[in-house]
Amino acid sequence: MTRIALEHLHKTYPRQAAPALERLSLEVEAHTLLALLGPSGSGKSTILKLIAGIEDPDQGDICFDGRSILSIPAHRRGAVLMFQKAYLFPFLSVADNIAFGLRAKGVNKATIQTEVQRMLELVGLPAMAHRRPAQLSGGEQQRIALARALVVQPQVLMLDEPFSSLDPAVRQNLQEAVRRIQRELGITTILVTHDRSEALAMADQVALIERGRLVAHAPPQRLYERPPHRQAARQMGIDTFLTGRVTGTTLQSQFGPLTVKEVPSHGGEALYAIRPEHLSLGYEPCAHSLAATVQSQIYRGDHVEVQVSLGETVLRVRTNAACWSNGSGVFLHIPPEHLFLLEEARPEPSRLV
Amino acid sequence: MARNAEDNLASGGGFSPWPAYLGYALLYLLLLGPVVGLVLYAGSTRWFFPDLLPATWTFETFWRQLSNARTQQAIGTSLLLGGVVTLLALVIALPAARTLGLERFPGRSLVLLLLFLPTIVPPLATGMGLNIIFLRLGLAGSLAGVVLVHLIPVLPYTIFALIGVFVRYDEGYEQQARTLGAGPLRILWQVTLPLAGPGIAVAALFAFLVSWSQYVLTLLIGGGQVITLPMLLFAAVAGGNPATIAALALIFAGPPLVAIALAARALTERTTTVGQQY
Repeated sequence: MTRIALEHLHKTYPRQAAPALERLSLEVEAHTLLALLGPSGSGKSTILKLIAGIEDPDQGDICFDGRSILSIPAHRRGAVLMFQKAYLFPFLSVADNIAFGLRAKGVNKATIQTEVQRMLELVGLPAMAHRRPAQLSGGEQQRIALARALVVQPQVLMLDEPFSSLDPAVRQNLQEAVRRIQRELGITTILVTHDRSEALAMADQVALIERGRLVAHAPPQRLYERPPHRQAARQMGIDTFLTGRVTGTTLQSQFGPLTVKEVPSHGGEALYAIRPEHLSLGYEPCAHSLAATVQSQIYRGDHVEVQVSLGETVLRVRTNAACWSNGSGVFLHIPPEHLFLLEEARPEPSRLV
Repeated sequence: MARNAEDNLASGGGFSPWPAYLGYALLYLLLLGPVVGLVLYAGSTRWFFPDLLPATWTFETFWRQLSNARTQQAIGTSLLLGGVVTLLALVIALPAARTLGLERFPGRSLVLLLLFLPTIVPPLATGMGLNIIFLRLGLAGSLAGVVLVHLIPVLPYTIFALIGVFVRYDEGYEQQARTLGAGPLRILWQVTLPLAGPGIAVAALFAFLVSWSQYVLTLLIGGGQVITLPMLLFAAVAGGNPATIAALALIFAGPPLVAIALAARALTERTTTVGQQY
């Protein structure tokens, strides 16, 4: 339905030195779900507020289907925002809460009644119409908030960490519901989250935001497996980086020589990365291993995170068993097929689609 | 055994309920005693020293006061004055309290101090000076002038009652309503006012009560042209007929009781629905 284009958005809040957004450009294809992923305070929520019209940008433009919406007041944009708090009006019943947007539009009573019931069924709470918000659980409140947002048939749906205050089981349940409904209705949706797994699980495209800038923009799998540069790799949970000159298929890394499969097209320094689950530990050396010392281990249930030191540097390795004793010398296996090349972190945002 | 447990629960665990009952009884005696006295005075024609109760009973004095054209007119003026002052005070106090409650700006404490000043400075001090200004402006002796001068003691209470609401106010509800398609007016009527409901009820109650019981400022600015119920009451006190005084005092106490009952109802209704959410 609606394609969103953000063009060179710039925003600085009063009494704040650093800009919340710095010339950020981003496109969201119609019918898709884009996740904005980044640490708190990175400007993700500001993007939603600008699109919703709760805040105005200092510079730049926002277009729905190629037409600028900046001159349209917030309540006529058809861009509905859902917050972490459900914000159900406590003095209205569930049905009246859902009907709120339709009443504002002047829709007739009969239509309102059928639409409200349809939405209650869509979010899986068909019998809750006459309850008060205070009588609902946190997850139910968010479902009603979702119904209230969807009933006005918004051009754009924006979700500002709507699941983060829910407990894990309810959260997953609601994530699946939102994803199913979003696909069903084909509403262009933007989800703000600081939870990597949530972004990967729900989104068609993930945009990484850091300090008001777009760091990377790609489909989840692509971003997870091949982050384009160091900043993106860090946000995807990678902290093993190797640099050095490559001669033939040998990388003269800071820790010692290693075999690589991918070879840079240019000479000079190259930057490689590897995911923690692709590293492994052993007591015997192999063709692609480095000597290391076990520092500590953290038991995480489905895996064990072992921290090993190579000289000054500490790396994290995901293993299956906690059979390593702290302080013992081990060998860190670095399989060449999992070492991949990164572009050196550049100041300009890069885009991979 | 079961009875005992219930008694303990009712009194808040383990204590005998009797001291509490005694406390209630004392409290009611203190509150209702004067009212009983008034009713007795208003209903008596002859009541002399050694008698515990009046010798003859009649409500004639009360009805005579109530059917008196002067009294009726004064009631009307007082109600109109109280109503207009309450409405105006709310219209002025809502935006002021919202800004003072939500925003932190330089000079905020100074504004609060200035707003609070009329409650400390005796009204006679300001009233004398205002009298001259109002005379020059042609407002002295008019209902509009009295409305304006009532706002001076009324506004501090109204604003302070409402600041309490807005300090804890979450603007997210309004932002949510806006993105759902509600315009500014709809947000005011259907989101802001219902959310601020209990605070508005308290503020309106204060405004009405302060205006209703105002004597000095009404006299100074009204200059005898605007006759309110307190002025009749003061005149009756000077006249010295206890039955008349008591009858007028009872009439005077009526509307505030209704106002308090209404506010209390609005408060309990709202707090049960809003309170449950948190």
